[in-house]
Amino acid sequence: MATTRRQFISRSGRLGLLLGLGGLPILSACGSDETSAADLEPIADGLEPEAGPLRLFNYADYVNPDVVAKFEEMYGVTVEITTFDVDSEAITKLANGSVEVDVHHSAAPNSLDRLIAGGILQPLNPSYLPNRANLLASYDDPWYDPGSIYTVPYTVFSSGIGYRADRIDPAVVAEKGWDILWDPTYKGATSILDDYREGIAMALLRAGVTDVNTSDEALIKQAGDDLLELVDLMNIKVNIEGYKDIPEGITDLAHTWSGDVITGAYSYLPEGTDPSVIGWWYPADNVGVVNNDCMAVTANAANPVLAHLYINFLLDSAIAEENFTWNGYLPPIQGLDADYLIAAEYVPENLASAVLTDDVISKGLRFEPLELETDQLWEQTWSTFTAG
Amino acid sequence: MSVGGYRPGRRLGPLMVITWLYVLWSLLPVLIAVRISFNSGKSRSSFQSTSMRWYWEDPASVWRDQALQTALSNTLKLAVLTMVLAVPIGVAMAIGLQRWRGRASRAANNLMLLPLVTPEIVIGVALFLVFTQIYSSIPRGFTTQLLGHVTFTLSYVVVIVRGRLLSIGGQFEEAARDLGATRMQALRLVLLPQLGPAIFASFMVVFATSVDDFVISSFLSTGASSETVPIKIYASARAAATPAVNAVATVMLVVTLAIVAVGGLAIWAYRRNQGATLGSAAAATGIGG
Amino acid sequence: MAIPGTLWLVALFVIPAYAILAVAFGDIDPILRTTAPAWSPLAWSGSTMVDTLGRVFGGDLGKVFVRTGLYAAAALAGCCLIGYPVAYFTARRAGRSRGLVLGLLVLPFWISYLMRMLAWVNLLQPDGYVNAILSALHLGARDHNWLDGDWPTVVIGLIYGYVPFFILPLYAALERLDERLIEASRDLGASSFSTFLRVTLPLSVPGLMAASVIVLLPMCGDYYTNTYLTGGSPRTEMVGNQIEFFLRGSSQPQSGASLVIILMAFLLVAMGYYLVVIARTQREGRS
Repeated sequence: MATTRRQFISRSGRLGLLLGLGGLPILSACGSDETSAADLEPIADGLEPEAGPLRLFNYADYVNPDVVAKFEEMYGVTVEITTFDVDSEAITKLANGSVEVDVHHSAAPNSLDRLIAGGILQPLNPSYLPNRANLLASYDDPWYDPGSIYTVPYTVFSSGIGYRADRIDPAVVAEKGWDILWDPTYKGATSILDDYREGIAMALLRAGVTDVNTSDEALIKQAGDDLLELVDLMNIKVNIEGYKDIPEGITDLAHTWSGDVITGAYSYLPEGTDPSVIGWWYPADNVGVVNNDCMAVTANAANPVLAHLYINFLLDSAIAEENFTWNGYLPPIQGLDADYLIAAEYVPENLASAVLTDDVISKGLRFEPLELETDQLWEQTWSTFTAG
Repeated sequence: MSVGGYRPGRRLGPLMVITWLYVLWSLLPVLIAVRISFNSGKSRSSFQSTSMRWYWEDPASVWRDQALQTALSNTLKLAVLTMVLAVPIGVAMAIGLQRWRGRASRAANNLMLLPLVTPEIVIGVALFLVFTQIYSSIPRGFTTQLLGHVTFTLSYVVVIVRGRLLSIGGQFEEAARDLGATRMQALRLVLLPQLGPAIFASFMVVFATSVDDFVISSFLSTGASSETVPIKIYASARAAATPAVNAVATVMLVVTLAIVAVGGLAIWAYRRNQGATLGSAAAATGIGG
Repeated sequence: MAIPGTLWLVALFVIPAYAILAVAFGDIDPILRTTAPAWSPLAWSGSTMVDTLGRVFGGDLGKVFVRTGLYAAAALAGCCLIGYPVAYFTARRAGRSRGLVLGLLVLPFWISYLMRMLAWVNLLQPDGYVNAILSALHLGARDHNWLDGDWPTVVIGLIYGYVPFFILPLYAALERLDERLIEASRDLGASSFSTFLRVTLPLSVPGLMAASVIVLLPMCGDYYTNTYLTGGSPRTEMVGNQIEFFLRGSSQPQSGASLVIILMAFLLVAMGYYLVVIARTQREGRS
């Protein structure tokens, strides 16, 4: 491909910027395809799907294998899933080309700006995605991807407190809210999410700060100190295992995701235990963290058409429902509301509030990208907390 | 204390008790992990009832999930090839370092020890950087994982073999040379047989380290085609894991046992054939007693 | 004969180790925030290293280093207490059952370390077997929570995980002990105990040292044993956890690489001691 003048300017400009900062730019040094966001065009309409295999990049156990098997059967291809553990690891691996995949299955909205600016995602061609019509209206034009050029939402979830309703009175949890995580009555049986954004945001919310993207050093430091207090006061555990630790009775109180209490009630209760033992609390004024994962096609996808077809497949109402029954994470698809899901016996009645309503979604606080220095401060604060 | 009693015997001494208690202790969790693989539920800790669900019924089971099978074969291939490369290079290096004198030897000796003081995650990150930026012509994935595993197991072999070399001392080999054996003969007929247990220990440690490693493998993995069982286990321990990972670990255990049993039989048969030859060679060089 | 191994290590260890320096003193990509190593020392910036040193010496990370060292030392002591008798028995007393014992010793190797640790989590749960056995023996409370972020659980987990790596090299060294020296000592009238103390133990020092080095140093970089066994309690956080946090995708990989360099500096001191002992043994062996 001949280098256009525009490409040349943008390329040399960026190289100069990077070199000026002192290091060898890892992206430019090793990326064989010197793409930047401006160069990328969506694929043409009406192309035949490739032969595969379609390569997905996702968290482990985050998509129903039955759903994947159906897609394989429908298009006569095989699907391979490459896994990552945390979002930042996914960015690193995509950025330096150490994984080669077609679909980024679960990108976090707060890192999309980096993936897009880094030329890692390609714009979608809506003609392959008719099932987008099934999405909730609130995701037509999301804040993180204006015009839905690059992404389609996969799941939506909120961060609250999962607890053992047979051991802790729901009225007490409702009354205390986030403060209950600082109540030594539950010492040794409490956990918070192992995620620096989630953990610090929770401490901010408890202190009455609703700016969960704050760059105010004093607020961040206070949140860090509050978290540190948990170490001795509560003998706090920091993990993302609430989905099984609550049903199994190891943890009584867990700062966790709405999807995890649903999957916990659905799949991890010991035989014969009633799902009503699991409770869910979310701020009564619906001012809490709401997040979602996004599907996107990578810029260097070898199977871009198949990738589009896969994304469209997951937006099919019946398929989205089947996927939900396996992982407990709500797809933002019309019709999958609490009434429907309870009637279908996917969600126990006592966890109705773990199914996000329009009001929860619209009032939800979102994790936005942080400026580099702020991000580093958040990370340092978290590192100080986990050091005990 | 019975430590000084010097006849091997069947007497039930404290040492024997400690050893068997240890064996029990070390095997118990393995048995638990195997039992969980037969759980009919999705939980890895609360056992519901016995079933083969995670072996072949469930879509996520070992039999039906292609990815688990790929991981299994990758893990075993990696471990075997790592042994084949790391043990000979390491044994040669141990013998070489033992004889090689001077400043260069000291430098090589210190260099050999460095990977031991380096946490796996560091080797993982460092190798990842050089494979993406310097040795970028090496195909990433399985090949780089193999190179990584050999690098970080090599020093184990050297340390184990040197421990043995130091306690053997040079006198047997010197005796053999004095009696007219060539350097190679002395090495092959005298030294290597005496290194047997250390070489055996090296094979085991290298195999185990390779099978256990997930840090280096995951840094150097390029996707589904180069994932290993530990990567699968680690990933699923963070997410909603099923007993399918226990099932794949169990299959790995059984396959390994089968390979070891076959290998053990082969060595046993070889020893029976070679016993006479080795014995006479040793007698001929005067070190039989 | 040492040439191939040395070349291998230069290409795949020395050069990568330099890459760690280049990361620690380098920069990050301004868009993706991934590492941008500074390959030329002229471009190095030491500010992250200075900050990190500040956090380690007198700052919030000091206790993580101390904790890591104590855990590793305690676990090493445990490895010696359990591993030495087992290796000694296997090497010198097992007689005809040696093959069987050896086989059983290496068996746990063949199921993944992570899998064994997960199994321990099951055993140690409040309603797990450990409590059931302890209460049956009237040794402990029925509902003691072993996974509650206490250090003994982590140390026991480390011992469990690493002791097989300790036993095998020790076995290899002990198996070679010169039986005649031990017999001579006894013939000269020494008691079993003093023979062990004055002859057997000194003879096994090189093997013990090798085995110790093999387990001690990786333990210092471990980050999954404690995470699994305490559900991620900050009270048992080790250096490896911090390194993992910063290197696995934070926006400051330089901090992680700096921690690596500091940790390695500590470990090199331990290593230096091993080298001195080996050199002394070698001198004695030659004279």
